[in-house]
Amino acid sequence: MSLTWRLLKAAFTSLWAFRSYALLMMIGLIIGIASLTVIHQIGQGTRQRVLSMMESMGFGSDAFFVSGGGGRLGVRRGMKRTMTITPADAEAVSRLDGVAQVVPHKNVTRTQVSAGARHTNTRVRGATPEWAAARRWGVARGRFLNVQDERRRARVVVLGTTVARELFAGMDPLGRRIRIGRTPFNVVGVLESKGSSGWRDRDDMVLIPLATAMTRMSRDDKLSGMRTNLEDPGRREEIKQEVTELLRRHHKLGPGVPDDFLIITPEELTQLITSQSRALVAMLSFISVVSLFVSGVVIMNIMLVAVSERSYEIGVRRAVGARRRDIMYQVLIESLAVSAAGGVCGLALGLLLSGLATLLLDVPTAFSPTGFIWALSFSCLVGLLFGLAPARKAASLDPVEALR
Amino acid sequence: MIQLHNITKTYHRGKLPTPVLLGIDLKMEAGEFLSIMGPSGSGKSTLLHILGLLDRPSGGSYRLDGSEVSSISDDDLARLRNAKLGFVFQAFHLLPRANALANVLLPFTYAGQFPPDAQERARQALSRVGLEHRLHHRPGEMSGGECQRVALARALVNDPEVILADEPTGNLDQRSSLEVMSLLQGLNAEGRTILLVTHDNAVGCMARRVLRLVYGRVCSDEKVANPTQALQQLATLPPPGVQG
Repeated sequence: MSLTWRLLKAAFTSLWAFRSYALLMMIGLIIGIASLTVIHQIGQGTRQRVLSMMESMGFGSDAFFVSGGGGRLGVRRGMKRTMTITPADAEAVSRLDGVAQVVPHKNVTRTQVSAGARHTNTRVRGATPEWAAARRWGVARGRFLNVQDERRRARVVVLGTTVARELFAGMDPLGRRIRIGRTPFNVVGVLESKGSSGWRDRDDMVLIPLATAMTRMSRDDKLSGMRTNLEDPGRREEIKQEVTELLRRHHKLGPGVPDDFLIITPEELTQLITSQSRALVAMLSFISVVSLFVSGVVIMNIMLVAVSERSYEIGVRRAVGARRRDIMYQVLIESLAVSAAGGVCGLALGLLLSGLATLLLDVPTAFSPTGFIWALSFSCLVGLLFGLAPARKAASLDPVEALR
Repeated sequence: MIQLHNITKTYHRGKLPTPVLLGIDLKMEAGEFLSIMGPSGSGKSTLLHILGLLDRPSGGSYRLDGSEVSSISDDDLARLRNAKLGFVFQAFHLLPRANALANVLLPFTYAGQFPPDAQERARQALSRVGLEHRLHHRPGEMSGGECQRVALARALVNDPEVILADEPTGNLDQRSSLEVMSLLQGLNAEGRTILLVTHDNAVGCMARRVLRLVYGRVCSDEKVANPTQALQQLATLPPPGVQG
């Protein structure tokens, strides 16, 4: 251990003595590690931003979402699913132990809505009065849908701000009448603006009472899905299992028949949303790894030259009692020191760059522990791997030759 | 202590094998001061390398302290070099970025474990060669004579039985040469065995025994009746700084 410590100290001392030279030697490594770090920081940042967006919609670790239709989770946008969840299912799930609340909704197909001569195409969603609280989505003007609306299957509507702007262009929509398809509705409120979620405009939507959507706007009595909030996030897996069993029983699915519904957690949804950026991360990581490999070859060559130049030092060390393996060990330690120093510099540069990216370009970044570990272990690996050839060369030097 | 019997060495570098040593016999007792002399190409450096366990003979027997060492493993050779031998080279061969103290500590690095009193012993070795005021100087900041004395301290620090010096005065001026030689003579007077390779007669005659090689064979092996005392020679030189 003492020898290792001494060799490490000596290696870092000479690295420092030749710091400008060493910097050139490590530049490839530094860039490779820096880009690896930036990539992971951005990947992590994106993931966290999406997750926090879901939290802001009240979709946190204490909730999951049950949607109709089975199969694997794919690209959901514009995809039609066979609707299978009934209000009775929702009722049964809400009575399960540990379930705090079930908030069902029904999406009506994208429909033309019009006010006088102005019209637009938007999403129409049937929602219950609890929907607003569960989504943490308040109204900016007027009121939200209430229990009376639900009971009376009232033809009332709450507009998203995009729709309100399209139809009323700055005028007050409250109390006005719009048509959804052919059915007239009274505007009772306007939602707060939530902006874009990153892949769609969340304000491009109108809400009508769920009962109205089920009876007046649609021919089937199926729900699109239900948000399920739990009392204890720790029991989520267990309750997911119970919901699965309950729904399979209700839907009379025999053994071996796949689920005709899908349970999604916020984490799974985040993964889905970030899957495209993850492909990018994987590709850029690959490029970084290639550049690390190239930088390893550079380091190896420089170390090979250094071994020839320092042959008398190796000779002296052999003369005072160093064994071949001691010399080999020393050169390996030195290349490890170079690559570790390069890794640390690259990591620092990467952190700096991703900080700048956040500050100047509003790119979401966050500290990624996996990126950190990858950066350091990769640079050490490069050092060990490409230090091997110079180490063997140094160890195989004949002491008499080396001293000449 | 050292017994060579019919030591040969042949290099196989080019197409033809090059014989360098053609059967050397040598017997040395502990405490001797032997200088190996001869014209260049006579094999004196090769003999020193073999005696110093840096190289293996092609044939013959080498017994060091009674045990055969001509065919032991690399690692065992390294261990013996570390424990029993100290080297001084013509070109000093100090580590350029390490200070005098660190250079002298080098043999301890490979001694298995670093002795707790290593620092103290390195200081003693440096003050033995008169460099207690140069502990933290690097080779580039010292004169050639001082560098060679650091190298001598490095050879001494492990308390070796034999000190091997390969043309130790080859790169030094007269005063520095005499200083180094007087140190070697002093060490020999304390009972240490010294092996010196030189082609300089004046230096060779400071040993108590001279072995002359010609073309890989021993041509003469004589005791020096009255070795030149380097210290006395030093006293006859004009004081440093005065051109004489």
